[in-house]
Amino acid sequence: MILTQRVKRVAQRILLFLAIMGPGLITASADNDAPGVATYSMAGSTYGYSFLWVVMWITVGEVIVQEMAARMGAVTGKGLSDLIRERFGVRLTFFVMLGLVLANLGTTAAQFAGIASSAELFGVSRYLMVPLAAFAVWFLVLRGSYGRVEKVLLFLSLYAVGYIISALLVHPPWGQVLRRAIVPTFSLERNYMLALLATVGTTITPWGCAYMQASVADKGVTPKEYPYTRLDVILGAVAGNVVSGFIIICTAAVLFTHGISVGTAEQAALALAPLAGQWAKYLFGLGLLGASLLAASVLPLATTYAVCEAFGWERGINRDSDEAPLFYGLYTSLIVLSAAIVLIPGLPLFPLMWLSQVLNAMLLPAILVLMLCLANDAGLMKTWRNSRLTNALAAALAVLVTLATLALLASSLL
Amino acid sequence: MATYLSRILGKPVWDAQGERLGRCVDILVAEVETGFPPLRAIALGNKKEEEHLIAAEHIAWLSPSIILNTSAPPAYEARGDELWLARQVLDRQIVDTEDRRLVRVNDLQLARVGPDGRYCLAGVDIGGLGLLRRLGVEGLAVTLCKALRREPPRAIIPWEDVAPLQADEPIRLRVSRDKISELHPADIAAIVSELDRPMGQALLQTLDNGTIADTMQEIEPELQVTMLGTLPPERAADVLEEMGPDDAADLLADLSPVERVKLLKLMEVEDATEVRKLLAYPEDTAGGIMTTEYATIPIGLTVGKALDYLRQSPAVQEDEALYYVYIVDEAQKLQGVIALRNLVLATPAIAVREIMDDEPIVVDPLTPQSEVARIVAKYNLLAVPVVDADHVLHGIVTVNDAIDAIIPTAWKKRLPRIF
Repeated sequence: MILTQRVKRVAQRILLFLAIMGPGLITASADNDAPGVATYSMAGSTYGYSFLWVVMWITVGEVIVQEMAARMGAVTGKGLSDLIRERFGVRLTFFVMLGLVLANLGTTAAQFAGIASSAELFGVSRYLMVPLAAFAVWFLVLRGSYGRVEKVLLFLSLYAVGYIISALLVHPPWGQVLRRAIVPTFSLERNYMLALLATVGTTITPWGCAYMQASVADKGVTPKEYPYTRLDVILGAVAGNVVSGFIIICTAAVLFTHGISVGTAEQAALALAPLAGQWAKYLFGLGLLGASLLAASVLPLATTYAVCEAFGWERGINRDSDEAPLFYGLYTSLIVLSAAIVLIPGLPLFPLMWLSQVLNAMLLPAILVLMLCLANDAGLMKTWRNSRLTNALAAALAVLVTLATLALLASSLL
Repeated sequence: MATYLSRILGKPVWDAQGERLGRCVDILVAEVETGFPPLRAIALGNKKEEEHLIAAEHIAWLSPSIILNTSAPPAYEARGDELWLARQVLDRQIVDTEDRRLVRVNDLQLARVGPDGRYCLAGVDIGGLGLLRRLGVEGLAVTLCKALRREPPRAIIPWEDVAPLQADEPIRLRVSRDKISELHPADIAAIVSELDRPMGQALLQTLDNGTIADTMQEIEPELQVTMLGTLPPERAADVLEEMGPDDAADLLADLSPVERVKLLKLMEVEDATEVRKLLAYPEDTAGGIMTTEYATIPIGLTVGKALDYLRQSPAVQEDEALYYVYIVDEAQKLQGVIALRNLVLATPAIAVREIMDDEPIVVDPLTPQSEVARIVAKYNLLAVPVVDADHVLHGIVTVNDAIDAIIPTAWKKRLPRIF
């Protein structure tokens, strides 16, 4: 083959990849939303480098689960809630949706907590900022002028790259970092279990799976083009978790070594000090604001779509509120409720952010079991069923999360 | 007395002797195209045993208990034309042809009709009460609604007004084609876009080429490409012929060069030539959005002769809107334009030249689309002719196509379904 032809071929492939890719990277960058950053900061500052192995293995788990979701989207062309309803009927769908709404309510509240935290870093009262942000999100998404705003928010969420630079600047003991990333250390202590579950919950979210599947289905990715999507999923998960790993390295190097266990945004911002010095507070504050607003705009809408799709209610922001009362009602109450939670006086914002993720983790095994049933259904997936390895790893993940949940409950009761 | 599928599924089945035969796992109906498809059989499941079917004529009662009128029912052989209600309809999406939308089936209503009192499928429950019934709290909800003096959220559509979309393997839809074809193409397009891709494609394939073409023109470009790709190439070429050349050209422009050439070769030479001509212009110019189907008459006719000419000309039949009639000379140079209204209302004996507008507003093929839109809006035109430097007429841009540049169609505004 002549060289130019070969180059052309490669160029075509790259173009095709770029066209198909996206959902993975977006889902991965959602790892750096407010609850994500709060969780990793808390874990890194409390347990130091010894928490790095968790991130390493969670990446494997995330790839397995997201790949499964993406494959189901490509093969069936349907969303997850659609499949659950058609395969398992109303009763199970009802409980799954209830769980999803509660977990996503918690996560949305965590986003507003992130907005409140960043407001307080700039000396603005949360009682002013949170209602303002809630209204802005509600209005912008419904009025459709959201597209331009999204770009600004995406740009702000790039602050997470600051953690990579910051980590390189503090010169952590790389040998130890590498060893800790591979060799697991474990503790059955209650707080450790909480940290573990929160980390799983913020990385592998039920809504993340549903979002992945829906966007692959919506893009009309066919099974033939699926290998590119798989690559995108893997790259996205790895990229997201590399950033998470660096958040842990930063907080371990800057905070853990000084015995500071992160409990507030001020403390979390210190991890960026090697990069930004006294400006760390503002860099962290702006970035957190952008990432939180981004997630707060996506989550309530995505949840509402999932619920309405499962129950066959009229949906879509191109219908008015008379046509789709349940859609608008649910969407509005999700935003109002989650903003209201954050406004409870004296509520500690940072623990709210990562504790909400524990709820996500507890819901995960249930969703995983359903996904495994669906992804192994011969009628549905034909030749694209799960491999044995995928089944084994996903089942192991579900069992481990369940065990961790039980251990947590046991240690709380004893 | 009407009953619901959810009240029957899972219930034990008793024979005439009071012997328990198993549990009802599905209900099969036949003659799906009719308003009241009769019950054909029920499917029985036993523990471990494979499910088997019992013909409907052996059923004495479905509710409150399922009781047979015999003690040794012969097995029923499925013929392949039955609809399995639990497996193929319940919890799935169907088209509500009355309100022209997709709905999800929460429950199915069965009723005894006719003098022989046989069981039939009567309606589809899409309401909140159906959901509550499936959750086992219908009674509670009704009591609660009564206490609050509110209507329970009932919504049942008669079976005549729905078209089920159950897909067989491999996906091939058995839909009541007439019910869907009768919908407006824009409604079909909305339904196809809202369905998942495989189902939407399957639905489209059941329609005839003309309907597909009309529907194509209403759906978003990206989806058009996907949909066209699922049709066999010969069929895709036929659909492109049915579409207006401007829309066909837009669609072809979005395809890969290889695909485009292949389809153009399959199209009839005449249609392909027109589309090729349009493809030569950039997409966002007058040439890119114009259509080549318009009405012309030669110069020098009287009004009466002109109307006769229009009636006989095959080219004129292609003009979908026919707002204006363009007057050209032998070299196809534009001499003037007249609104069809004025032509029809004028005295037949006078020359068209007398009443036509001989200095019409025109645009160049390379005029940007936004400029065309501005001109159309400014002069209140329904269509504007596109002429080259020699004043030769190449096409017209209708007002719909022109304002698409400023006001995107509803489909472009639709936010992607996130979940």
